[in-house]
Amino acid sequence: MGKASRSKAQRRLVPSPAGGPAPAGRPAPSGWLTPARTLLIGVAVALVVAGALIGVSVAGSGSSSKPSPATVTGVAATNALFRGIPQSGNVLGNRNAPATLVEFAEPQCPYCGAWARETMPTVVRDYVRTGKLKIVFHGISFIQPTSDSERALGAFAAAGSQARQFQLLDLFYRNQGEEGTGWISDDLLRSLGSSVPGLDADRMMADRSSAAAKSQIQDSAKAAAQVMGSHFRTPTFQAGPSGGTLAPMPISTVDQLGPDGFRAVLDHMISQ
Amino acid sequence: MSVGRLRAAIAMLSLLGAGIAAYLVYTRYSGASLFCQTGGCETVQNSKYSEVAGIPVAVLGLIGYAVIFVTAAFPGPTSAALGVTLAVIGVAFSAYLLYAQLVLIDAICQWCVANDVVITLVALACLWRFRRENAYSVATASGR
Repeated sequence: MGKASRSKAQRRLVPSPAGGPAPAGRPAPSGWLTPARTLLIGVAVALVVAGALIGVSVAGSGSSSKPSPATVTGVAATNALFRGIPQSGNVLGNRNAPATLVEFAEPQCPYCGAWARETMPTVVRDYVRTGKLKIVFHGISFIQPTSDSERALGAFAAAGSQARQFQLLDLFYRNQGEEGTGWISDDLLRSLGSSVPGLDADRMMADRSSAAAKSQIQDSAKAAAQVMGSHFRTPTFQAGPSGGTLAPMPISTVDQLGPDGFRAVLDHMISQ
Repeated sequence: MSVGRLRAAIAMLSLLGAGIAAYLVYTRYSGASLFCQTGGCETVQNSKYSEVAGIPVAVLGLIGYAVIFVTAAFPGPTSAALGVTLAVIGVAFSAYLLYAQLVLIDAICQWCVANDVVITLVALACLWRFRRENAYSVATASGR
């Protein structure tokens, strides 16, 4: 067998899984770093990196843990949702909007959190941003430990005095922990406040005990008592044409708290 | 399929994946409504799983597809190996996010599922390309 034919035979016997013609000029693999080892290293590196990403994601998504400054999530989405929409105190949107939606919510209430995360974005984008609706938020506390909820309500009210209540609320619910587990700490509120552009978190923390903040919390408690009596249930909504008498929204199922269900009820209420 | 065609396929698929990721990044930062037929896009997009250490996963995806596109532009086993590594990272993390949608969030985002399909195709094409690139190299070395 000649040299030329031996080379041809060797090409055919190459342990190549794919085969195919061999163009000239390709670099030869080094002795140790065979293609199989290269692939093994690449996949191993990939799995380590993917594992690290998943680990960071899992660590940042623990619902019962207390979010630290490093694990506050949803900042970009919250800021995008409310960017350019006017707000004052506990009112979001154009004060002259033809319709009004009033929300009564408890900071620890899981359904309030679900509504804020899943349905609020749709309401803000399709109704508030378009000028059709304004939202009035009333925070109330009745879930134990109520001192935790009151701590949050103070921060909401104080953020309202800086026209950032709805960003703080939204971010708060995106990072909501399990009710009754004592997750609403000053550290958490400060971290959330620090994540809202334009909100002075130190001032917010100090203003929680201000007369204005206390007044808003008391006003919300009075409004809730007028609507619900002594049996608080959250979230509770009222809606209707602005300036008229607002009626309770007949929401009785979880589906009606979702974007499509809520929209159907809201459309009916504000068109009356 | 030739290495050239595989590289072209990887480049095209990367552009498709980057397009999906770019759309999700745009809606996230602009506040625009997300076109959604599955009903769960908003839920997924606003969930805790849509960010890693404060960085939206769509941004990570956009960067990943861009780098895979660049690896497709350069010939050779090293570029192919880098492409495989990035694609496997993408597949593994996408599998985790699919699990999160199905089990933890209980909502499905069509854009995420579309991305899952694209990144899987990219990974298969990258693996195929890696084998062909190294087949050439081994064959050339053996034939010397």
